[in-house]
Amino acid sequence: MNSPTPIAVTGMGAVSAIGENVAAHLDSLSRCEHGIRPISNMDTCHRGRLLAGEIRVPDDELYRRLGISPGEAYTRSTLLAGLAAREAIVQAGIDLHDGHRTGFISATTVGGMDATERHYDNYLSSPAYRHFIPTHPGGVAAEQLAGLLGVPGMVTTISTACSSAANAIMLGARMIRAGVLDRAIVGGTDCLSRFTINGFNALMIYADDHCRPFDEHRKGLNLGEAAAYLVLEAAEREVAPMRVPLAYLTGYGNANDAFHQTASSEHGEGAYLAMEQALHVAGVAPAEVGYINAHGTATPNNDLAEGHALLRLFGRKDDLPPFSSTKAFTGHTLAAAGAVEAVFSVLALQHQLAFANLNFSEPIAGLDIVPLTQPENRKIDHVLSNSFGFGGNCTALLFSKAHD
Amino acid sequence: MTKPIYIHGGGCISIQPTFQPDYFFDTFHSYASNPVPALEPDYKSLIPPLQLRRMNKSMRMALFTARQALLQAGRENVDGVIVGSGLGCLRDSERFVEAILAEEGQPLNPTPFIQSTHNMAAATIALSLGCKGYNMTYVNNASSFESALLDTLVYLMEHPDRSVLVGGVDELGDRTTLFWELADYLKKDGSDTGETAAEGASFFVASAERGESALGKVTAVECCVQPHDVEDFIRGFLRRQGLGVDDLDAVLLGVNGDGRYDAVYESVARRCFPRLPQMVFKPILGEYDTVTAAGVFLTLQVLARQSLPPALLYNGIHPARLQRILVYTQRRGRNHGLILLEQ
Amino acid sequence: MSELTQELKAKIINQLNLEDLSVDDLDDNTPLFGEGLGLDSIDALELIVMLDKSYGIKLSDPKEGRNVFKTIQTMADFIEANRK
Repeated sequence: MNSPTPIAVTGMGAVSAIGENVAAHLDSLSRCEHGIRPISNMDTCHRGRLLAGEIRVPDDELYRRLGISPGEAYTRSTLLAGLAAREAIVQAGIDLHDGHRTGFISATTVGGMDATERHYDNYLSSPAYRHFIPTHPGGVAAEQLAGLLGVPGMVTTISTACSSAANAIMLGARMIRAGVLDRAIVGGTDCLSRFTINGFNALMIYADDHCRPFDEHRKGLNLGEAAAYLVLEAAEREVAPMRVPLAYLTGYGNANDAFHQTASSEHGEGAYLAMEQALHVAGVAPAEVGYINAHGTATPNNDLAEGHALLRLFGRKDDLPPFSSTKAFTGHTLAAAGAVEAVFSVLALQHQLAFANLNFSEPIAGLDIVPLTQPENRKIDHVLSNSFGFGGNCTALLFSKAHD
Repeated sequence: MTKPIYIHGGGCISIQPTFQPDYFFDTFHSYASNPVPALEPDYKSLIPPLQLRRMNKSMRMALFTARQALLQAGRENVDGVIVGSGLGCLRDSERFVEAILAEEGQPLNPTPFIQSTHNMAAATIALSLGCKGYNMTYVNNASSFESALLDTLVYLMEHPDRSVLVGGVDELGDRTTLFWELADYLKKDGSDTGETAAEGASFFVASAERGESALGKVTAVECCVQPHDVEDFIRGFLRRQGLGVDDLDAVLLGVNGDGRYDAVYESVARRCFPRLPQMVFKPILGEYDTVTAAGVFLTLQVLARQSLPPALLYNGIHPARLQRILVYTQRRGRNHGLILLEQ
Repeated sequence: MSELTQELKAKIINQLNLEDLSVDDLDDNTPLFGEGLGLDSIDALELIVMLDKSYGIKLSDPKEGRNVFKTIQTMADFIEANRK
């Protein structure tokens, strides 16, 4: 059996509440500057009361930066994705028309819902915005972007709630190893919407203050909006010659909790299985993991389940690598989270820097695990990144350092 | 390159009585309305009532047809569940938006929000079966099912000892239908443009081994959003399987009665398949993003029974044999998909 | 009191989509969660919404619901004590 093709990460792009490009994200993370503020841009009754990670760039500015005519219908998730995907493609320095089979694998949960909810009634009464009707479906962003950015090959979209982008990244690697693609632009996007704000509020898991991942007194999440993409390439000379990759994607795993529609099983069975698979695919032992970017939404249920799963995987509290949830920086960016946090994982490897878990003061009773509360320089060879979504969908990715 | 996979069981809910065990497209309901809702089975025959209560139509249709597929395949469980859905759980999405617009600021019922999540059908199947394996949902317009199928081929190549439930499901929504009318998607009385909107679910049990019995084989699948040249797309796909158009015994085409977009089928039929029997399925099953899954259900039955329903024959040419059938579909000029099915 | 319990049973069947049950099938003292009717955390949230919309009682912490929603009877008692 041949050893599997190494998957090189050759480009990244990200836009969120803490930066409009990857370098800005590194800066914010290093300085512990979060982007969570009272909602100000959305037309919702929760504006000013609930906190979120909003991107302070209005849609018309996004249109301008992407060179899209204002008369064309592009929803916010698509626009954000365009910025992030373009940054990744430019960094990777790839020529999309060089004959290599390139796929665009995106992820979203909101899709065009921000436009649909805004125009739900006025579509019926006025023709003014009807050109947005075709933008509702989840698959529109990927197709519009593939057209805009000139990606010639396979296009698809994954939608598995909060694990979506991690699954898109995993699929890209699998497609390359299966010989279906030579390279893949992978990631996800979700803008803020009244739909998701009200949804998590109705579930009583939207905190009314800054979220507190892994803290005993956590009361829920803050939402955020973001888009992030990676370029993955088969690390063979003819596809990615003479470049040191940013990192390697060495492991991935997806499993289903099969416990409940939204809640995780108390001991995080699905989370455990996904992480175990990722390490197995990478051939990396738990003790070799240098940093974990946890899912850590700060909901009572997730952090308890994830904590249990981490302890089960690593054996005991003292063997747990440094870990943190970065969602107190960006908010929970739903379908984009897996890709945003993949970017953070690669930054951690490039800069040998583990990031802080903000707003922590007291460990969860019974688990007694303590995340990093300050950014920390340390030797990191492998980073485990977790993303767990509704429907029991659990995904873990393992990124490994590219040595010069 | 992927390897072929074998289908051991299938289930289908559609606007025809496809959920009935012996149904083989010999009689049809015809519909004057547009859109057309799916004919529904007695779900309780396969799903316990206490589970049904938390299931919207997509979830019920998906789980029921998944269970039918398992029964036909003689299996209790699978290792993975891979689903395609163009619009996900549309009715619950509409319900939640309407609740927000009417009552934001007052307490909102959380159930429609939860049930609007696109991967709920896949989650429901996993929960019902207790399947903790790979679970994926593709939401990519009219290539959602093809994406799920491609993932299945890759997954079973990675894990040749495993099995997967793969399928497609889509449901209608009242307000969305009005939007479609405004966007000029829908066929109106007597018009030769527009689609007949429908809904349904089709699920299959797939594995990498033929085993004792299989309904048929999915040899390969490819999609392209908008090929430069559709004929090249088709010939290239066949060439990659070591085949030419002369190696096919029949084709299933996605002709749907929308005169604006059906022309590509005429052209491709004339240039690539002039001597082949050409079947259609959308005139009796309607149009929705994942209706191709129902087309695959039909084709597998054709291969298993070695017989072609005469009413679905588009060009009057009868098959000499039925071992290899190509499915070619597109929707509104986009999401061109090819699936090669064999005995 | 029994009028309220009957009313609650009807509301619960409707709100939680318990299609196959009638008001007569629900006993005042059967546990609603866990053993008994087997409702779950999402049902608890739906019941919280119902308490607010139908009886004007707000529960701000889902955990409060555990005691309130033990049985139809405990719900009725709580509503009687707190309704506006």
